[in-house]
Amino acid sequence: MPLSDTAEAVNIVLGEVEAGATTGAVDMIWINGENFRTMKQGDLAWCGYVEKLPNAELVNFDNPAIANDFGTPVEGCEVPWSRVQFAFAHDTARTDAPPRSIPELLDWIAANPGRFTYPAPPDFTGAAFVRHVFTHVAGGPDALIGPFDQARFDEVADETWEILNGIEPHLWREGTTYPTSITQLQQMFANQEVDLFFTYDPAEVGTAVVNGIFPETARSYGLRDGTLANTNYMVIPVNAANKAAAMVTQNLLLSGEAQLEKAQAEVWGAATVIEPDRASDEVQAGFAALERHPSVVSIEELGQAALPELQADWTSAIEDGWIDNVGN
Amino acid sequence: MIGRGHPWLSLAPALCVIAVLFGGGLVLGLAGSFGMGRGDAGLDAWIAVLSEGRVWRSLGLSLWIAFASTALSCVIGLGAALLLRRRFPGQGMARLLFQINLTIPHAVGALGILWLLSQSGFLARLSAGAGLIDGPAGFPALTQDRFAIGIIAHYVWKEVPFIGLILLANMQSLGDDPESAARSLGASPFGAMRLVLLPLLRPALIRAGAIVFAFSFGAWEVPVLLGQSAPTALPVLAWQRFTDPDLAARPEAMAIAMLIGLVSAVLIRAAFARRE
Repeated sequence: MPLSDTAEAVNIVLGEVEAGATTGAVDMIWINGENFRTMKQGDLAWCGYVEKLPNAELVNFDNPAIANDFGTPVEGCEVPWSRVQFAFAHDTARTDAPPRSIPELLDWIAANPGRFTYPAPPDFTGAAFVRHVFTHVAGGPDALIGPFDQARFDEVADETWEILNGIEPHLWREGTTYPTSITQLQQMFANQEVDLFFTYDPAEVGTAVVNGIFPETARSYGLRDGTLANTNYMVIPVNAANKAAAMVTQNLLLSGEAQLEKAQAEVWGAATVIEPDRASDEVQAGFAALERHPSVVSIEELGQAALPELQADWTSAIEDGWIDNVGN
Repeated sequence: MIGRGHPWLSLAPALCVIAVLFGGGLVLGLAGSFGMGRGDAGLDAWIAVLSEGRVWRSLGLSLWIAFASTALSCVIGLGAALLLRRRFPGQGMARLLFQINLTIPHAVGALGILWLLSQSGFLARLSAGAGLIDGPAGFPALTQDRFAIGIIAHYVWKEVPFIGLILLANMQSLGDDPESAARSLGASPFGAMRLVLLPLLRPALIRAGAIVFAFSFGAWEVPVLLGQSAPTALPVLAWQRFTDPDLAARPEAMAIAMLIGLVSAVLIRAAFARRE
């Protein structure tokens, strides 16, 4: 089924369940964050089978980064598939010393007018960028962990909007408009309209170099204060017509072999959700021998400073607040 | 046997398609905008949508896009049709070139406009290469811009041949007689065109213009590719609400979609009413 956004798949399931269709068109969705919360909240996710999958024993479900999907407890309703962490990217031929923290970035933007912008939320990656500034203003993720807190939100939000409105005159097109998607920002970085790019999947930078979209000198990098990280999952809708087949697929995708294949730089280069030492010797050896594209920051380096994602209520409030206060 | 039964009978297949696919969607959309099938039916979504500044700004932008695109397409399309109806060497080729972009999908056309007009596009690079501006970024913002120039440029490029084609067909069926009669009664060529031909073409022009208006007011793919981030065209706003992970935004998406249909229908009805 063709989709441009995960929310469309959720919409299909929702429409079917509302209409009482018991054999839906969607058997499995690659999902996380707000969309998972929506499915869980609407009782649209099929739950309670995850630990029956033979390959589930490769996963450490006690790891909070896996047991919580953007702060929403997974509780056996979805199977982890991949880990990603936000990273920035620059072209060493153009920008030899990119900013490596949010305060440095803010100074860099002022010193390099017109050379930075970010996609307007509700774009997923643009919203994640805004969360980095928000987390920085809050003094770190610890202040924002847990359920939504209106008073704390207001306090942090006011300063965040002030900062983001403050940098507007130095942004691309003086901040009168923003790119509407991360794809557009990618094109603009490729076309040298801006000097910095960011992505929630650093492997993408390597892929873009291989495809000739980015120059060989493009490099992805993390921030000293850390960048947001999250796990993405596979969910089976409650009305899926082929639940057994979906479970077999999930089990296969969770296998050491499939996870290793996915981690190969020339395949995707995505970080695994399994504990390699629980897998077979060959898989362990494979993970030990992984090579990455020179443009992609290593998962270990990036992972040294990883920020947990905020709960979905926080992320929606930040998106709406940005739209009302900055993006208008 | 086709066409020999009762007209309603002959129209039935077409009417069924319209009633089921179009009417059904409209009814479901309307029901969705009232929050039906969601437990708490009511006017909440409509009140939220109509009291939101963003929606009005988006409506204003969409009206500007649709009016500007329709007016420019009609004027240029009419001019082109008047030129192309004359006989001249290579007329066949000229007509073919004129019509060729009718086959190009809107999304493809919009991407073409992006490559041509954006600040990293062909014209920007050309002007920078020729030393007219310091760098491609110095090129004026013609896409994702405040005045929706890129969007309007796309619609005009795409709809001029459409208007022109309808007018050419109309002129063909009118023939030269009305104008010849006017000329023989002493009208100048311009007078014959202004007083005889244009009034005869007006109904067709209004109909074709209404189609262009409805499309440019309600289409999503062009403003999503060429539009700025805020305000967005109304259909883009509806789509954002529809794909919002928060389910509460769905009735609002439906209400915005219904608003698009309603405004479009009222304005087109008014255009037809003035003609009569």
